[in-house]
Amino acid sequence: MKILKTDVAVIGGGPAGLAAALEASKLGAKAMILERDFELGGILQQCIHDGFGLLKFGRRMSGCQYAQFYIDAVGEEGVDVLTDTMVLEITPDKKVYAVNSTDGLVCVEARAVVLSMGCRERTRSQVFILGTRPAGVYTAGQVQRIINMEGYLPGKRAVILGSGDIGMIMARRMTLEGISVPGVYEVMPAPGGLTRNIVQCLNDYDIPLHLNHTVVQVHGKKRVEGVTVARVDERRKPVPGTEKRIDCDLLVLSVGLIPENELSRAIDIEMDPVTNGPVVGADMMTSVPGIFAAGNAVAVFDLVDYVSDTGERAARGAVRYIGDGTKTGGWLPVTAGENVLYVVPQKVRPGDEAVDLYLRVLRPMRDAAVTVRAGNDTLRQDRHAVVNPPEMVRVRLERAGDGGAGIRVDVIGEEVL
Amino acid sequence: MVDEFYMRLKGKERFADCDIRAEVKDGDILWLSGIAPKWENVVAAGHLAASVPGVRNVVNHMRALDHNPPEHDRTAVAETGRAIGVIERVDVLIIGAGITGCGAARQLAKYRQSILVVDKCNDIGEGNTKSNNGMVHSGYDSKHGTLKAKLNVEGNAKYDGWARELGFKFNRTGSFVAGFDESDRVHMEYFLENGTKNGVPGIEIISGERAREIAPYLSDEIRFALWTPSAGYVEPQEVTLALAENAIDNGVRLMLETEVAAIETGEPHRVVTNRGVIEAGTVINAAGARADEIAAMAGDEFFTIHPRRGTLVILDKSLKGRLIQFVGTTPANHTKGGGPTETPEGNPLWGPSAIEVPDKEDYAVDADDIEFIMEKGFKLTRGFKMSDVITYFSGIRASTYKEDFIIEASRKVERFIHVAGMQSPAVAAAPAVADLLEEIFRNMHPGIEQKEDYNPYRTPPKEFRYCTMEEREELIRQDPRHGHVVCRCETVTEAEIVNAIHGKVPARTMDAIKRRTRAGMGRCQSGFCCVRVLDILARELGLSPLEVTKNGTGSDLLYAPSRQPEEGEVRAK
Amino acid sequence: MTEKMYTCIVCPKSCRIVLYDDGEKRSVTGNGCKRGESYALNEYANPMRMITTAVRVIGGKPGLLPVISTGEVPRDKLMACMAELYATVTSAPVKQGDVIVENVLGLNVDIIASRDIKKKEETV
Repeated sequence: MKILKTDVAVIGGGPAGLAAALEASKLGAKAMILERDFELGGILQQCIHDGFGLLKFGRRMSGCQYAQFYIDAVGEEGVDVLTDTMVLEITPDKKVYAVNSTDGLVCVEARAVVLSMGCRERTRSQVFILGTRPAGVYTAGQVQRIINMEGYLPGKRAVILGSGDIGMIMARRMTLEGISVPGVYEVMPAPGGLTRNIVQCLNDYDIPLHLNHTVVQVHGKKRVEGVTVARVDERRKPVPGTEKRIDCDLLVLSVGLIPENELSRAIDIEMDPVTNGPVVGADMMTSVPGIFAAGNAVAVFDLVDYVSDTGERAARGAVRYIGDGTKTGGWLPVTAGENVLYVVPQKVRPGDEAVDLYLRVLRPMRDAAVTVRAGNDTLRQDRHAVVNPPEMVRVRLERAGDGGAGIRVDVIGEEVL
Repeated sequence: MVDEFYMRLKGKERFADCDIRAEVKDGDILWLSGIAPKWENVVAAGHLAASVPGVRNVVNHMRALDHNPPEHDRTAVAETGRAIGVIERVDVLIIGAGITGCGAARQLAKYRQSILVVDKCNDIGEGNTKSNNGMVHSGYDSKHGTLKAKLNVEGNAKYDGWARELGFKFNRTGSFVAGFDESDRVHMEYFLENGTKNGVPGIEIISGERAREIAPYLSDEIRFALWTPSAGYVEPQEVTLALAENAIDNGVRLMLETEVAAIETGEPHRVVTNRGVIEAGTVINAAGARADEIAAMAGDEFFTIHPRRGTLVILDKSLKGRLIQFVGTTPANHTKGGGPTETPEGNPLWGPSAIEVPDKEDYAVDADDIEFIMEKGFKLTRGFKMSDVITYFSGIRASTYKEDFIIEASRKVERFIHVAGMQSPAVAAAPAVADLLEEIFRNMHPGIEQKEDYNPYRTPPKEFRYCTMEEREELIRQDPRHGHVVCRCETVTEAEIVNAIHGKVPARTMDAIKRRTRAGMGRCQSGFCCVRVLDILARELGLSPLEVTKNGTGSDLLYAPSRQPEEGEVRAK
Repeated sequence: MTEKMYTCIVCPKSCRIVLYDDGEKRSVTGNGCKRGESYALNEYANPMRMITTAVRVIGGKPGLLPVISTGEVPRDKLMACMAELYATVTSAPVKQGDVIVENVLGLNVDIIASRDIKKKEETV
């Protein structure tokens, strides 16, 4: 087995991994990215639409443009890159076992590891779509790859289930490529993605959005011939009698993302059951000393700009850990309070400075106060005209308090009914 | 018999609106025709007919007003086939390449006979073998005196030998029937008695505590259980592939996408297929859900298959080892069978459910199926949740109305053997079924010579995911494509996929690749590997990606290229 | 009197704005700020959109080159631009920022490559 040595082994060369490797290198550490695809960029390479980089670069870039910036930078820094390389296993003592066809089996002995494996998509079985299993049922990400990179149309008439951003983006993309889209169906009472996408992906193309609806059945023995949709009640259960059959040859599922953490679970990293990602501290370190996590592997982010920030943070944490063996204890919890579904990081240390908290609310609210407290002290309060579950909120703290029982985030405002 | 049948019909509510006519043919076969309001009435009438003393089997041509089996008119196919003419002359033609057909092929390959196996699907085991839960039952369940009971216990005992010879995974895990309260006791005593008569080794009733010592993830509510240590598990597609590959090694040939449309019995038999006419000395009908249709084509219709659909639910592999034994309930708690168990690969597998359907290709999954399976599973176990489910699918049981196997030489047609009604426990019985078929064949062909170079052994390919690091390095040395992992969830390499495509039984579709290699069976359900496997299939088969299918003609994965390069090109730069 | 409804996308408030046009004058209600007013007036009079699509790149891996416009184009010209780009072919190698179509349809906007694409042989 080939033994390679590096300071920071970065698993996954998408936006989080690229930012981590770049930052680590700039801080003087040797970094190595292990990427399973044939090129760097991760999911960004199939995101040819714009909307990326507004915060980080002040520009409206497409996903691949954003990725290219980092790919060029990482190239200039001389970061080691292994592509077409699958990580098979990592160990708590920071050995990364990977494999590719040129080097064979490789063991990368690292002094710190950044887990940036991104997400996978939820499948039809996980949302219990019934009926037959014909060809023509794809997730939005698969369709995006097929259309944008492989150059094929997977069907000619598509029903989309799920109004998250990726579902709406693909509604537009498919329409522009000549695939008719009779409708987007969303099981919740509110759209899952940004308003700008509803306007520019659905309204612009007269694609109807049906809230409170779901696909209950797929039809067709060999290839999709149609789907049956139905309205759902408050418990998200189909209402009998509201079924409607729609002819189509393609069912596109945009029903959620799940952080990819098989490598993390295999070494018993402490996981957060709400985010489905590792529990991380403000420096993105997991429960295993020297193993950090960043980006969508931690929690599903909406903005790639935030993902890059977490990558940079993880790199800084990794480099500090390598330098002085950062304290691996003394954590205090970050509590998700009123109307908060989750917050990352989930732990902070007293005295941590320049901490970014990323949170998602449970329910939409108007005129909301996002307050971070340490005990009775208010560390920060931001006002937002609107807070929405599909839009992650970032709170920038100067200090994470001085001890005590940790910090707590609450979101209080006017409920939107 | 007819009078007895009508008597049993009388006064039964469910047959009130039915118009049923019965007649006896060939001495002991009861034929039904007529109309019923619902398909379930048709099936109930068939079962009633089968219960009449003296009835050997039932042919049921009744029609329902709500749903009926779809008609298959094969006249055009038969015309095409006849026009093409004779394409093959063989000693033995086996119709059906599921576990039964492949088992027969491998066993008969021992003899100096040319053997051809045909199947209408584009892969082996693509009928109902693929959706079988792989349980090698101990045999307490099948009624003593039935053929399936006898062959189940015999087959179960022979599985270690098969696994050793053919190189497939077989876990002898044991199985439980759970008892929650005294109403279960009576059924359990029946199983104990029936199982003992059947010759099930080690069968006993044990306490709930003892059961939980063996399997800690059983529910705390279980007070006692029937325990049979001889039950086990296989991956049915793996067994079928092993049988087929060993058969091919021993000279058997396989023709897929070959559908039998008509049979002209004689010497030799002329079997008309979509590809042409096959002349065969002996025909073995192992056609699964369509065995009744094949029998009818040969002028020997004496049974009808009524499809009974079952759904299986697969849970995440991270739960591997949690509950490796099967656990079921008594009829007191659920009238349908099935329960939680685990495949040799390590995925918990729950089910099956059971519902009578008219269409032999009804592979849909309904909400009721899932609800039934999960509810049952949660009752029998602890520590599993709904979010552990990664996928589900259905299969069809090829059930006759007697609900037993039919393994015999045809009484009407010379050199024609039926092996039909192969629903559960057909997988468990498979080695014994193959032996019985061999015996029938030898009786049919006295003095038949054996080959000297018959080799019953097969060496399975090394699976990358099970290899040690050293073994992996060796594999990569032999073929660098083992270094390219394509399916991340199941750790399947490009070399394994390429080898499957060019294997003895070539895998030419996404589903075939999935079954051979497991690519696409993981938690992301081919989210990552789908596009890559498609590319590899296209490349290796010399196809355009547009021609790659999920499971044969009509299941195209892609529709069209997104750019038309030839016309209207505008050169940039 | 023409009435049109717009959902503003400038900030997360997503105000519902109604625009009135009596032939001589245009006015809006429902906007929470001046930016919303401009948004609605522009959407009505002259909606503009970014172009992002993909163009065939011969000999490249991947085989499609994502492209992006250097500015917005009128929404009613979007489909014509798309058709033009649909038929456009380029060849590898390509560098991010390379102009693929200059001044597309005379709209004063270039279509540039969103990323590098290497020749297929070089990516193996």
